[in-house]
Amino acid sequence: MTNPIPHTGLQPALQMGNPENLLEVTGLKKHFPIIKGVFAAAQGYVKAVDDVSFSIRKGETLGLVGESGCGKTTAGRCIVRAYPVTAGQMLYQLRDESVVDLAAVPEKELSPFRRDIRMIFQDPYSSLNPRMTIFEAVSEVLRVNNLCSPSEMRDRVEALLKRVGLRPEYMQRYPHAFSGGERQRIVVARALITNPRLVVCDEAVSALDVSIRAQILNLLEELQADFDLTYLFISHDLSVIRHICDRVVVMYVGKVVEVADALDLYTRPRHPYTEALLSAVPIADPRGRETRKHIHLQGEIADPSNPPSGCYFHPRCKFAQQVCREQTPELRTVGKNRQAACHFAESIQLQGVIS
Amino acid sequence: MNSQDLLLDVKDLRIFFFTDEGVVKAVNGVDMKIHRGRTLCLVGESGCGKSVACRAFLNIIRSPGRIVTGEMKYYRQTGNGQQDVIDIAKLDPRGKQIRQIRGKEISMIFQEPMTSLSMMHTIGDQIMESVLLHNQVTKAEARRRAIEMLDRVGMPKPERIVDEYPFRLSGGMRQRAMIAMALSCNPSLLIADEPTTALDVTTQAQIVDLIRDLQQQLNMSVLYITHDLGVVAEVADDVAVMYLGKIVEFGDVETVFHHPKHPYTQALLRSIPKISREREELDPIQGMVPSPFRRPTGCQFHPRCTQAMEKCSQIEPRVTTVGENHTVQCLLYENL
Ligand SMILES: Nc1ncnc2c1ncn2[C@@H]1O[C@H](COP(=O)(O)OP(=O)(O)O)[C@@H](O)[C@H]1O
Ligand SMILES: Nc1ncnc2c1ncn2[C@@H]1O[C@H](COP(=O)(O)OP(=O)(O)O)[C@@H](O)[C@H]1O
Ligand code: SF4
Ligand SMILES: [Mg+2]
Ligand SMILES: [Mg+2]
Repeated sequence: MTNPIPHTGLQPALQMGNPENLLEVTGLKKHFPIIKGVFAAAQGYVKAVDDVSFSIRKGETLGLVGESGCGKTTAGRCIVRAYPVTAGQMLYQLRDESVVDLAAVPEKELSPFRRDIRMIFQDPYSSLNPRMTIFEAVSEVLRVNNLCSPSEMRDRVEALLKRVGLRPEYMQRYPHAFSGGERQRIVVARALITNPRLVVCDEAVSALDVSIRAQILNLLEELQADFDLTYLFISHDLSVIRHICDRVVVMYVGKVVEVADALDLYTRPRHPYTEALLSAVPIADPRGRETRKHIHLQGEIADPSNPPSGCYFHPRCKFAQQVCREQTPELRTVGKNRQAACHFAESIQLQGVIS
Repeated sequence: MNSQDLLLDVKDLRIFFFTDEGVVKAVNGVDMKIHRGRTLCLVGESGCGKSVACRAFLNIIRSPGRIVTGEMKYYRQTGNGQQDVIDIAKLDPRGKQIRQIRGKEISMIFQEPMTSLSMMHTIGDQIMESVLLHNQVTKAEARRRAIEMLDRVGMPKPERIVDEYPFRLSGGMRQRAMIAMALSCNPSLLIADEPTTALDVTTQAQIVDLIRDLQQQLNMSVLYITHDLGVVAEVADDVAVMYLGKIVEFGDVETVFHHPKHPYTQALLRSIPKISREREELDPIQGMVPSPFRRPTGCQFHPRCTQAMEKCSQIEPRVTTVGENHTVQCLLYENL
């Protein structure tokens, strides 16, 4: 089944930069006003996402990684248009190869895109309504939009629950009867019931225990193959990102600092922040731990409402020069399939965690 | 390791929670030895009993929980090469003796620093309070000690931070302040219960390095609780793997990671994503942790175990020694 998407007709001549891409995000900004008091004017802005560009290829898993507060969730929520964006373009290629700018689609015309692009959240406890049965939760979008007959809906929910490893007999039960791992399967089914093309997985396995996390990761990989899905996989866990992603985008304080194929990134990072982040990942092998050194960054992550001048990373960077304090480095191509936003990306030698 | 090196010797510890729904056997027959100057990691999935077990070592189990049986012998050095033996399980939880041990000889840090730091008092006052409580020193000396500890845990500008309130600090800084407080009385054992679980990786790496460095400088023992096998591989000398209230495998870190014997340990290691050149397929453990009210008979892991034999559902495995400093609870290794 496909979801027919009406042509909004608003942007007739849009074209993808690369026809292999499903989504091209350019210059995306999301600034949240800081408001103190009820009637006060904004006292500044939290630049949660600040001029972010990346693209997602059809069928790939693109990782979005960075420490808490760097803007990963906000970027994901912009893509599903959970709120209007401050600036930027998000070109999306439809099934019929026509192109639409998701950032410009008016709110009341969003519903077909919300079926095409779905989001899975971290917490399987708060993302399910405790007063909805599993059947109601999974079928909600279909019911609200009157997308199919009751009998077809039942069949689809049943088949999908089976596919994600749950017993359809239990679909009249409420979420409290299920474990964390089972709830995450329900959340996955709820996202996939509309036959989406792009799924934004926001820390989808971060709250799960080791054994359940492996089950869900495998399930996500199987579903991707079965249903031809493209994933934007948001996580702060660099081991999980290495495992599941083809390419990786690294963010720091609302900006993209590096984009690369996963193996290249882990073998030889090109941005000093990526190097520090990788060095901090605990490796599950005691052999060689004496020779592994964590890079200790000075100071704290910058405040996105009051970022430093120039390169946002400069106060913590051991390579920083005068130019880093004065000029914001552009995200630019620094090799085959890779980009970095550092004035010295070509000349500095950085250490990876895969040899 | 001889008996002089033993700090805490736990035998057959059982802690049950008597709830309206039934009895939760949170810790169900744990044997554990903590040695002087070593770091023991207690690892296991959530709900397996890690926090309850380590709270017992300070005798702070609250109702409806109770230490049902077991002993926790604490070997206290008294100078001149002598040592006292105190069974912590036998002490009155509100008595003078345990209060002397708690926070001074055995101290604890938590995942959430605000559980042990007060919002109302400065960092310095809180460290000084603990120093003054346990030592015969002047206020000025206690303050000097507080600043020294803050410096030691890598706090920038300790002379200033000492007068700050915790809410003014970042998560990582609070964690450092809590560690400074825990270490201010020079404990022989530091219990760290998931101290970095809520932190970002770069901060986690700093705290892990800090605990490891301080452990070596102060030659204290550390009981480090975590669910993260990566962290275990970085900090542990010894590892205890816990499943449903029991230690199913114990050994030194090299042995547990490279020659694990228990099917649960083996399965855990196969189910974690590794950072390597090849993207390996994950091999998850089937099923899930059973409800505390419906624990399996025999070996509690048998319904999920790929090597289970018929007798595994009937016979409860005992602690079996399979090598030097290496034990497992699994029928595969009994009566060999
Ligand atoms: N609705 C909001 N209003 C104001 N600030 C927000 C809002 N959502 C996120 N932020 C801020 O934006 C920044 C990025 O947050 P987020 O996207 O959640 O980061 P991440 O997912 O990488 O942890 C943070 O500083 C956060 O506090
Ligand atoms: N106050 C309590 N009342 C009832 N059960 C409890 C209580 N505290 C802990 N438990 C139970 O004890 C078991 C072990 O818990 P805990 O030690 O916190 O696990 P871990 O730290 O390994 O995640 C769990 O099954 C938990 O539900
Ligand atoms: S631009 Fe300068 S400060 Fe920024 S990461 Fe590169 S070297 Fe460091
Ligand atoms: Mg987030
Ligand atoms: Mg715990």
